[in-house]
Amino acid sequence: MLDINTQSSTNILLGKVLLIASIISLLPGCASTEIRPDQPSSASVTIDPYEDFNRSMYGFNMGLDKYLLKPVADGYKFITPRFMQTGVSNFFNNLKGINVVINDMLQGKFEQGAADTGRFLTNTTIGIGGFVDVASELGLQSNVEDFGQTLAVWGVNQGPYLVLPIMGPTTLRDGTASLFDRAANPGSYAPMVGVLEGINDRANADGALNFINEAALDPYVFTRESFLQYRSNLVKDGLLDSKEHDFDINDAVDEAIAQPGKSPAPTADKHGKLSGAAKPSKTLAQGSDAFDDMSKSFERAEYQFEKASAKVDQLSKKKRRKH
Amino acid sequence: MLRKIYVGLLFLALSGLAGAVGADELSARQVVEQFQNQLIDVMKRGKELGFKGRYDALEAAVKNSHDLPKIARIVVGKEWEGFTPEQQARFEEEFSRLSISAYAHNFKEYTGESFNFVSEEETGRGGVVIHSTLSIPGEKDVRFGYMMKKKDEGWRIINIIADGVSDLALKRSEYTSVLSRHGFDGLIAKITERIESYEKQ
Repeated sequence: MLDINTQSSTNILLGKVLLIASIISLLPGCASTEIRPDQPSSASVTIDPYEDFNRSMYGFNMGLDKYLLKPVADGYKFITPRFMQTGVSNFFNNLKGINVVINDMLQGKFEQGAADTGRFLTNTTIGIGGFVDVASELGLQSNVEDFGQTLAVWGVNQGPYLVLPIMGPTTLRDGTASLFDRAANPGSYAPMVGVLEGINDRANADGALNFINEAALDPYVFTRESFLQYRSNLVKDGLLDSKEHDFDINDAVDEAIAQPGKSPAPTADKHGKLSGAAKPSKTLAQGSDAFDDMSKSFERAEYQFEKASAKVDQLSKKKRRKH
Repeated sequence: MLRKIYVGLLFLALSGLAGAVGADELSARQVVEQFQNQLIDVMKRGKELGFKGRYDALEAAVKNSHDLPKIARIVVGKEWEGFTPEQQARFEEEFSRLSISAYAHNFKEYTGESFNFVSEEETGRGGVVIHSTLSIPGEKDVRFGYMMKKKDEGWRIINIIADGVSDLALKRSEYTSVLSRHGFDGLIAKITERIESYEKQ
């Protein structure tokens, strides 16, 4: 619904700067973003440690959008017939298809990878270079996969939230990974194609941006939260983890009713690693349950051991008496 | 004549039956579906109703399906405890107005949308999630998860998760952030500003 991801645009040079910055800070960045539930309302502190910088970047982007990107996108929408706009969107989506297949494979989703390969080949040939999305008509749904999601599946934390000039919202992990995605996109190697893609992306994001302007009390936080949740949902392949949401809600409800205290962060990746393409919520819940069970069984074992050694002591005393 | 009496009796019996069913508590799924039907109905009559008409039509529908007082509490997190009773009442009222206004604004016309029930899932601590999809012709389906809790009055929606984005979590981040940056009066001012801009369109 809120396809904020489409906001991302093209700036390879900027990406290189980001790469250097992120390689330097990748590890400490990851370490600092783990959310400790005992911190009071620390969501923004841990997820968004550079909030002041991000907010000013957000303001910059919004200004740029208002005076440059939106007028250009509006102009594009005005002069381009509707079917051409759809065609252009299809074309760029299809170019991403190669990268989708690569990341399917990297995440071990071979079946989906095969389907996405079929999708790409169908649209590139029958769909006239990708301008017509024939595959969707044939029932081959498009999947959104990128290297950021692959890294997440491999266990890399998302790192701090970042707002980059022009490119918009991202995280350290996803921003770094987007360089890989660019490299695996043939469109990146043709001059000026990136500009058209950027205009197309902006035009497509129009509805989402308008919605944010209408609905948000704080558009910056609204964008951040929906972006992070959207990404987290993609990583989990849309498996609605109502259990995880429910924990948050229940905690929040308890907290609202009882007293101030714990305030768990509602957003993505708070449990750190996600294991594979399996249901993360289940593994997480099972994980904590398993941990509880484990510590309980340790206690039981300790108790049994004490009981046993007490018996041994008694036995040895008896034996001594007999002697 | 006899036939008329018979029909009359049948009618009475039927209406009595309907009354009995109505008195029974609705299931979580029924609460959601009733609300969705009311939404679709308002969308269909959207233009003729106008904003005010849609607001009035949806007010009862939203209040009878959502636990607005609880949602209002949750979105401000532990700040709630710091509010005076007057502030709590004021916030709850403004929050309800905003929620209904947002529905009245966003569901203003009908272009063939339909809600479809997918599944029902029980969560921990006595909650239920109703999964459904919103089909919009020519667009990808939007997946909705309605998290329900049971109150004395029956099942009520406490959170809506649209395509993986939790409305409650989103609002909580936003409201607590606005509170810490602009205080209570700033929050109320922003809410009324939103409501006014919804009313204008």
